[in-house]
Amino acid sequence: MSTDDRTPNLVDRFVALKQQEWFLFTTVAVALLVFPWALIDGLEIVAEFIKTDIGGYTGLPALILIYGIVVIGFNILLGYTGLLSFGHAAFFGGSAYTAALLTRSGFIPELLIKSPILMILIGSLLAVLLAWFIGFLSIRRSGVYFAVLTLTFGQVMYYYAMGPGGWLTNGDDGFTPDPGELLGHFALDQSFPGDLPVLGDLPFLSTLLTDWFYVLVAVTTFLAVVVGYRILKSPYGLIFEALGQNEQRVNFVGLNVFRYKLMAFVISAVFAGVGGALYAMQTLTLHPNGSLYWIISGDFVIMTALGGVGTLFGPIIGAGIFEYIRLVLSGIEIAGYEFGGMWRLLLGGAFVLIIVLFPSGLYGGIKNVASSIAVRFGNTTGRTRERPEHEPAERGGDD
Amino acid sequence: MALLELENLTKEFNGLTAVDRVSMTVEEGTTHAIIGPNGAGKSTTINCVTGLLEPTEGTVTFKGEDITGAEPHAVVQKGISKSFQTASIFPEMSVMDNVRMAAFAAEHGAFRFNFLRRRDSYDAVDDVAFRMLEEVNLGDVGDVPAQNLPYGDKRRLEIAIALASEPDLLFMDEPTAGMSPEETEQTVDLIEQLQEDLGLTIVLVEHDMEVIFRVADQIAVLHRGGIIADAAPEEVKGSPDVQEAYLGGVEI
Repeated sequence: MSTDDRTPNLVDRFVALKQQEWFLFTTVAVALLVFPWALIDGLEIVAEFIKTDIGGYTGLPALILIYGIVVIGFNILLGYTGLLSFGHAAFFGGSAYTAALLTRSGFIPELLIKSPILMILIGSLLAVLLAWFIGFLSIRRSGVYFAVLTLTFGQVMYYYAMGPGGWLTNGDDGFTPDPGELLGHFALDQSFPGDLPVLGDLPFLSTLLTDWFYVLVAVTTFLAVVVGYRILKSPYGLIFEALGQNEQRVNFVGLNVFRYKLMAFVISAVFAGVGGALYAMQTLTLHPNGSLYWIISGDFVIMTALGGVGTLFGPIIGAGIFEYIRLVLSGIEIAGYEFGGMWRLLLGGAFVLIIVLFPSGLYGGIKNVASSIAVRFGNTTGRTRERPEHEPAERGGDD
Repeated sequence: MALLELENLTKEFNGLTAVDRVSMTVEEGTTHAIIGPNGAGKSTTINCVTGLLEPTEGTVTFKGEDITGAEPHAVVQKGISKSFQTASIFPEMSVMDNVRMAAFAAEHGAFRFNFLRRRDSYDAVDDVAFRMLEEVNLGDVGDVPAQNLPYGDKRRLEIAIALASEPDLLFMDEPTAGMSPEETEQTVDLIEQLQEDLGLTIVLVEHDMEVIFRVADQIAVLHRGGIIADAAPEEVKGSPDVQEAYLGGVEI
């Protein structure tokens, strides 16, 4: 992909830079670093101007990223492989309960695990096992039947946690996780120190990174993006995309469709599991309604579609908008009226608006606008490696 | 040497016998055409070999190995590939990626754990993919989304995908169906080129007699599920049975 034979202009150079892995990952790292500040303090400044309280609060950035991790994986399944699962709450909630139970093992004291990292690993492991089982049974069916099967398995877990499994999950009363310190030293709710052993006095880091929990979530998100990116750039990414477009042909080039679909399902469950375990550390009370209920599965679908199905970063943006509407905009007053519990009405409005304006989701829309600007300002390469999904059809064969 | 052998291959659908004790042998390096009126069982026969359908009775032997009832991906991995009647491609992927898919499958088998390695690093795969695109004269449009190709090119892409599986035996299901005379001509040239360049063994289902007589070494005639003739083109042409059953007694 070298364009050295042409005189590169700024846009070309940026496009070339964008394709560099390290550039992408650095951008993500910087974005994660300033995200809490932008969401809390940045929006606070805007709020001062418009005299409406639209700023975020401590804890919200981490929560958004937790759902972001989940939908990165969910999108690999929905956006590439084209499998619509309505049961991902099973992996999210299953992992959350596993992680939470580890921290208060009333049954086997030796099994008491409070390490956040171990909570993530063991929670995700459970999600993998569950996904293998549920996927093995569901993937044999396609379309609506697949969706309903996954929904059913998810609801089985929900009702178990609510009723007969109450001895384990504390049912409707909720379960209070008790996560320990990160790496045995840093309490999750403790502020990130402004003075570091080697780097010295850096007070702004304390402002940016808020607390250790955010650091844990941000690092995990970073890893999730890297892994998600690598998966999509690996042979699996190509095969997943192909599965979404013409499953029979995939079979007839000699690939085992069932096993690749199962892999897509399991991979997406790992992301859901990681998110679930982090959610167990974030929430004060783990309740089946907020973790295992089918509405949660539906929320993953909405977040993914909002941000942009089939893009790596779109779903994270979708998760951000979703949670921002649910937790911040629901609280603002418009003409003395507060949305409150009716926030889904607001979300629905935003959803319709975004899908009508940008059928490929918000991120796809932004990308299209950006690429048409790039073309206008002399992108001589014309076609970038990452084509916008809904580029107007060009006549092929004659160029 | 016999590459593919069908023995008493039978397929019944709820009492209807679509393929009735078909036995035929495809010799290595030859082009074997299967003809017959609509509903004669041509497609069903192919589907029984390529694994889309499981035969009710009979055996399919490929390179001396019994592959009866194997799944499509397993059959492809053995070395039998199929080009579809309709352009069965990945519409939103680039032309190159379409072919790359098949090359991956050929190089890496039906399933493998390699989900963290960048696919740009697979040179052998890219080489095969590019060579096959060149083979069907689509080397210049590798970057174009497959759905933007004209119909004839889509069908050639379809053939390139089948070729990238690096098959020993290629099934072609009506490769010229729906094509203009010009495109048909190009396709026949392509088939002849494949015979020469790659030494492929080809099994061809086709309606266009002109095409068949140009490329086929052997013609099998199916009628109501059974084989009524399987011989060299000249012989088949002269067979009264074939004329009666398939050509309706009209001289060709």
